[in-house]
Amino acid sequence: MKKMNNHTILLLVACSAFALLGCKKYLEQAPDQRTQINTPEKVGKLLVTAYPSGNYMMFAEAMTDNVTDNYVEGRTDAINTDSYFWRDVRSISRDSPTSYWNDAYKAIAVANHALRAIEEMGAGSDYLPWKGEALLARAYAHFMLVNLFSRSYDKNTADGDLGVPYVTQPETVVEQSYSRHSVEYVYEQIEKDLKEGLPLLKDDVYSVAPFHFTRKAAHAFATRFYLFWQKPEKAIEHANSVFPDGNIVGKMRPWTGRYRNLSYNELAVEYTKATEPANLLLIETQSWWGSRWRDYRYSTSVGQRNQIFGLSGERNITGGTLAYITGQVGLTSYYVRKFTYFFARIGGSSGTTGYGYTVIPALTTEEVLFNRAEAYIMLERYDDALNDINTFIRQRVMDYNPATHDLTLDKAKAYYAVSQDNEALIKAILDLKRPEFIHEGMRWFDILRHRLPVVHMDIEGRSYTLTANDLRKTLQLPQEALNDPGIQPNPR
Amino acid sequence: MCERLIHYMKSCKRTVKILVILLYLSGMQVFGKTYSQKISISMQRGSLVSVLQSIKQQSGYMFLYNDEAVKGIDGISVHLKEVSLEHALEIVFKNQPFSYYFEGKTIVLVPRPGFPVKSQKEKPEVAIQRTLRAKVTNQAGEPIPAATVSVRGTSQSTKTDAEGVFVLMDVKDSDVIIFSSVGFQQVTLPVSQVGASVMMPEIVSVLDDVVVTGYQTINRKLFTGAATQVKMDDIKMEGVVDVSRMLEGRVAGVSVQNVSGTFGTAPKIRVRGATSISGENKPLWVVDGVVLEDVVNVSNDQLSSGDPLTLLGSSVAGINANDIESFEVLKDASATALYGARAMNGVVVITTKKGKSGKARVMYNGNFSSYLKPSYRTYDIMNSADQMSVYLELERKGWLNHSTTSTAKDGGVFAKMYDLINIYDETSGQFGLRNTPEAQNAFLTRYANANTDWFDLLFNNSFVQEHAVSISSGTENAQHYFSTSYYNDSGWTIADRAQRYTANIRSNYNLSDKVKLGTIVSASVRNQDAPGSNTRVDDAVRGEYTRDFDINPFSYALNTSRTLTAYDENGNLEYFRRSYAPFNILNELENNSLNVRVMDLKLQGDVGYKFLEDFEFNVLGSMRYVKTGRDQRVTEYSNMAQAYRANWSSSVVSNNPYLYTDPDFPIAEPMVVLPQGGLLHITDDEMVNFYMRNTLKWNREFDAKHTVSAFIGQEIKYATRRRNYNRGYGYQFDSGGVPFTDYRIIKQLLESSDNYFGLNEWYDRYAAFFVNANYAYDRRYVANLTFRYDGSNQMGMSTTARWLPTWTLSTAWNIDEEKFMENVHAIDFLKLRGTYGLTASMGSATNSSAIFRDGSTFRPNLSELESSIQLVSLENSELTWEKQYEANVGIDIGLYRGKLNFSADYYNRNGFDLIGSYRTSGIGGQAFKQANYADMKSHGVELTLGGKILNKSDFKYSANLTFGYNKNKITNLKNTPVIYSMVVPTGGVKEGGAVRGLYSIPFVGLDPFTGIPSYITETGRPGVNVNMQSSTTDILIYEGSVDPLVTGGFSNTFNYKQFSLNVFFSYQTGNKIRLNPFYRSMYSDISAMPNEFFDRRVLIGDEQFTNIPSILEFREYTELGAAWPYNTYNYSNYRVVDGSFIRLKTVSLGYTMDERLVKALGVNSLSFNLHGTNLFLLYSDKRLRGQDPEFFNAGGVALPMPQQFTLSLKLGF
Repeated sequence: MKKMNNHTILLLVACSAFALLGCKKYLEQAPDQRTQINTPEKVGKLLVTAYPSGNYMMFAEAMTDNVTDNYVEGRTDAINTDSYFWRDVRSISRDSPTSYWNDAYKAIAVANHALRAIEEMGAGSDYLPWKGEALLARAYAHFMLVNLFSRSYDKNTADGDLGVPYVTQPETVVEQSYSRHSVEYVYEQIEKDLKEGLPLLKDDVYSVAPFHFTRKAAHAFATRFYLFWQKPEKAIEHANSVFPDGNIVGKMRPWTGRYRNLSYNELAVEYTKATEPANLLLIETQSWWGSRWRDYRYSTSVGQRNQIFGLSGERNITGGTLAYITGQVGLTSYYVRKFTYFFARIGGSSGTTGYGYTVIPALTTEEVLFNRAEAYIMLERYDDALNDINTFIRQRVMDYNPATHDLTLDKAKAYYAVSQDNEALIKAILDLKRPEFIHEGMRWFDILRHRLPVVHMDIEGRSYTLTANDLRKTLQLPQEALNDPGIQPNPR
Repeated sequence: MCERLIHYMKSCKRTVKILVILLYLSGMQVFGKTYSQKISISMQRGSLVSVLQSIKQQSGYMFLYNDEAVKGIDGISVHLKEVSLEHALEIVFKNQPFSYYFEGKTIVLVPRPGFPVKSQKEKPEVAIQRTLRAKVTNQAGEPIPAATVSVRGTSQSTKTDAEGVFVLMDVKDSDVIIFSSVGFQQVTLPVSQVGASVMMPEIVSVLDDVVVTGYQTINRKLFTGAATQVKMDDIKMEGVVDVSRMLEGRVAGVSVQNVSGTFGTAPKIRVRGATSISGENKPLWVVDGVVLEDVVNVSNDQLSSGDPLTLLGSSVAGINANDIESFEVLKDASATALYGARAMNGVVVITTKKGKSGKARVMYNGNFSSYLKPSYRTYDIMNSADQMSVYLELERKGWLNHSTTSTAKDGGVFAKMYDLINIYDETSGQFGLRNTPEAQNAFLTRYANANTDWFDLLFNNSFVQEHAVSISSGTENAQHYFSTSYYNDSGWTIADRAQRYTANIRSNYNLSDKVKLGTIVSASVRNQDAPGSNTRVDDAVRGEYTRDFDINPFSYALNTSRTLTAYDENGNLEYFRRSYAPFNILNELENNSLNVRVMDLKLQGDVGYKFLEDFEFNVLGSMRYVKTGRDQRVTEYSNMAQAYRANWSSSVVSNNPYLYTDPDFPIAEPMVVLPQGGLLHITDDEMVNFYMRNTLKWNREFDAKHTVSAFIGQEIKYATRRRNYNRGYGYQFDSGGVPFTDYRIIKQLLESSDNYFGLNEWYDRYAAFFVNANYAYDRRYVANLTFRYDGSNQMGMSTTARWLPTWTLSTAWNIDEEKFMENVHAIDFLKLRGTYGLTASMGSATNSSAIFRDGSTFRPNLSELESSIQLVSLENSELTWEKQYEANVGIDIGLYRGKLNFSADYYNRNGFDLIGSYRTSGIGGQAFKQANYADMKSHGVELTLGGKILNKSDFKYSANLTFGYNKNKITNLKNTPVIYSMVVPTGGVKEGGAVRGLYSIPFVGLDPFTGIPSYITETGRPGVNVNMQSSTTDILIYEGSVDPLVTGGFSNTFNYKQFSLNVFFSYQTGNKIRLNPFYRSMYSDISAMPNEFFDRRVLIGDEQFTNIPSILEFREYTELGAAWPYNTYNYSNYRVVDGSFIRLKTVSLGYTMDERLVKALGVNSLSFNLHGTNLFLLYSDKRLRGQDPEFFNAGGVALPMPQQFTLSLKLGF
């Protein structure tokens, strides 16, 4: 106190004497306790928020064939309803496409600020791991955006399909104009960031590594990226880097083991825990999905469950019983309890209003396995693909017996009544992914990539179809983005 | 360094230029003094006396001469036309035995050597020398000690003694004696006119003639802006402690709304309405030249929230009203120009009292007042019998049934009944209450007849006392003013108490003719109790404010059923249920309280140095330190602490939000984490504020026609604010203050990313440079130019946003000085004014560079938490200050020697670069930005009419009527508000509306089958479910402005002999008010209902005659699901009334004791005053039914302004 006062009086006197010269310095004081990004540690802390805090699962799931109209149960929600009927979602609330758009670009802005700070600090070796994380985070957010808001990658049209703005500099004016470029351009930019960032990553700089791009997570992302970009060799190469020791089984979710004994509540906590080795990248999102995923009107029903999990007389490709623990809301809605949610109260511990937070598994071991299998199929390496698929089946079927449960080419072709090897295996993979990733939005990306049609029914029995190349598969950009003259709307 | 210098040179080029010009001007030679007032005399053989008379009339100059010498000189013929005064004098005295010289505005005639005067011829040659002895007094006849008495032109001088008496030896008859003393006008008299006593008029009227801007004191004739001065003596509301409230209705264009009356909370004050959409819109308070910085920032909207923070909201709450001499409200751009970029919301300048030389004068001022208890007569709340019949209807409708009520969160009579039925005493075989209709009826009858008067229980006819003593004394070279005061309010409610101590020492010294020094030391200490209160939270989904554990006595009395009783049949406190725990308001107010402490210390000094001929250099420095503390003390016996421990049934365990679910054990039951003790939440706010200013003033008159002055200066401000908080859990108030903390409650806090302690700091750094030039031609035409350059750190680290130049041009025309007005005697003064200028204020945005803040992640597992840095805001390189162009024209007229004064102003304001919320494409990473793009326009009229209408010796009547009109409109704003933010009582913000507009959800009607209200929903179609978070706000009805468009007051003062009577009305109109929210989808057996519920829709068909919705059946309620049509009803157009009112604000009857009587008592003066404040509303909308149109019943610490009666005693020694 005393010291400061002396200091102040000195300053005042100095200012009076030297008028402006002193005052420039005097006015450089920040108005509050805001932080300057000026050390490697602070760059690291900043990058904690370089992951989209929005959650795509709610609207993505509602657009898939995993859900149906559970009109008896469930809350009516505009985002859920609009998504189910593939209408442009007007709501900008949490869990809406617009909110994901905003949050993904916010993550990109954080990454860009980190990169700028690193550059300003001279980009010394202390900063390099953080530079890697920033580049990976920027690539990831753009990748998610281009897949949701642009036409799913198609080799033949990617040069002409509208991409999403690829932002590499912090914005400094109120309204900056951007342009969309092409999907191909966006993929190229993502690859550039990925290639530059990945070698810089260092796992030991993170305090809670599964919430960051570790090497493993980066390779997992690369697997997904190259698969979507239809470059199977690279997808396989990166998948192999995720499992350098070949031990995949030990890093998969123990549905047939430890998970079997968990209650619903315990499973919810366990599924998205950082200690779960299957979670290669976890993202903390501000979302109500963790508390509401099971009680929206358009959700997974009894019929859906039976079809997806192969229960009550429905078949599944393995022929065995899948080990997932399913629960029920009311009479018609079914779910797998994958999420817990965290309620941050406004106004301290006695408040009753606040925000919901849900941790989501963004990249998992199982996905890498499936991506590799799919890449093998693209290269017609069916044995390798089957090997991966059966690795998965072994971990998911109760009382596993290789002779009865393992998939073979013939079994798959017979099951789907198709003649093409690759078609049969792709269908098998998609069917196995559905129960594994239910509620996680993964199905939507599969529908996009494989140009699957979706049929939805309403309460009156009317059916609505989303065709293979339906323009509605590409989400419309937020209205405010379209106000930018450089941004064209998606065709409708 | 060099770069900085260049930057400085560039930015200040204009300032430097002006300085150069000024220096050049001051260095110019002035060739002889000429008085160029045009004189015309045409006289044939007239007397010298009549010639002098004529010159006096035309020039305004007085003559001083020896009567004897001039008498008899006549036969003078002069013919002069439009010659200068000097020329006229030269001619007139050419052949006369006198020479002359100027003494200010007096022309002194002295005998010309060698030109013997007639009288000298007759008398002996020797000039008579004698001893002069006299007493110097003020107007009241009181002696002035230490006054200087000197002989003009000699070194001879002396001083008066304690009795005011002086003795001068050896004075000649021709000598001229000058009397001077600080605080008094100088008196010059020839020896012959010095009688036994000499009266020196006090400089009290000085305030009438000058405008105090805080930087300068300007002659009102030369002032070009719109400013209104009010003297404390005229507006003082005895017994009211916050001086800001006294401005209500006193100054045209100043609106004062008492949104809460609790001590320490500020009224909502706006000078010429709002200027900013997102900012605070508070005027700048300036005390003795220094801006009074706020300790905590409480925005105008927050003022009506009732939050504990608002108790620190009033900047002036620590000022003793008796120390204030006057207020000067600076309204237009010219008046506020020297405040530059802080001036957009007007400035209120407070001038405090100074010591006067003379005998020590002691004043005592005692106020003894009482607040009246509110009463149910004023409010329209059901009595207990009616309330019980509604409860029986609720019971019939499936609400108050046994199973749900007995485990409900809150419960009244019915919950108690079911609890008793559940009690079974095994030894006696008796139930607490037999489950028979008869037993139940008997039980309920007691409560149906209770008719509890909560106002009576919770309020006191309190006793408030205020004692203030001041001592003024001094000599010519040193004057002192000392005051101290004590205020004690024993509390209007049983939970409120306030004490305040103030002290103030102000000294002024004349170190020499050239150097003056002033010092001020003032301090105040406050100690206040209020009901324990949490910060309120908006529930935007349901559409309501919630405040956990609200125990505000006023809102409790209004909202709690009169069937509940405070005491049981045995006279013990009777508890009902709240938050699953026993609750009794009397017990709770005792065990859950808020203690507020404030210590405010100010040291200030200024030095003035006059040098060369016309220059004055001033340095002003000030240091202020304020420390405040807010403790919320929730003891272990309070309902709040017990709510943390409520787990008496499995349903309570699963529903009580104050229990804790450990994420490490997701299947474990929620548990109690405050097993013992209560809560002790401490928040300390602190501010250190330094201020320093250097100014140089230059004044000169050329040719007696050109008055030029210039003022240049520089100032610097430093303020650091600090908040330190600590949330203590498990503090055992009744066990020696030993904390017993369960670690899990801290764990729970940490898991919600909250902290149990913290320290926040805010740094405010400010520097400014300013220059002002004023030119007056012949006192008739005045032009004024001000330029100011402000710099602040508040917008962030960017250097471009930091500085802002502002300027003002203004002019005035004193028509009364024109020749053609010479013969219009009815007009005392007449002045036209015009102003155009740019003012500014700081917006709420601080992101001229990107803002990063440290934080923490939100993850369920503690082990996974990471500290993080959030990107709070992107850089806005275009960020700047909020600005406004203002044009003002005004006229001031004075008629019939003060009988009637009239002043009118019209202004037009164009606000631009205002901060508004802006929705971007989101691609840059921030979907909603605060940016300088919004515009608003406002215009207004201000009228003041008043005067001393009757001024007979016995009977006097003076009146003052003020009228202020302000209308504003947002002309450009692209925000995307949600419905809820638009319909709240404090108003919403939208393009096309007022800065705070009241919007309503359109009510369609009641459903014929259920009586549920329906509306036009956000879909555009009728329905019961309006999504309050929808941004489709086009469906809303714009009701009007929340702020009144017209405000004003009407004051009447009658004096008859020793009696005086003041009657003061305040009024406002043009605004809309939302009625208190009474309607809910579900009512419990503790809800109180207004009598308008009698008119509710009960049967099918009623809805054709009433708009008051029915009480829902439980089944209907459950069918509503997530819809809240009853909360919506509170926000419908049906719940909006007109805000106009006329209030009899004060009536004051005074008696001043006769002087002779007073002298006999041994004192100098004695007066009594009986004062009634906030008496009643003469007019207001009938549908308010007792709701105060100014007050926001927000709970927490908010209380309305009470009716107050004060006996005031003034004693002077």
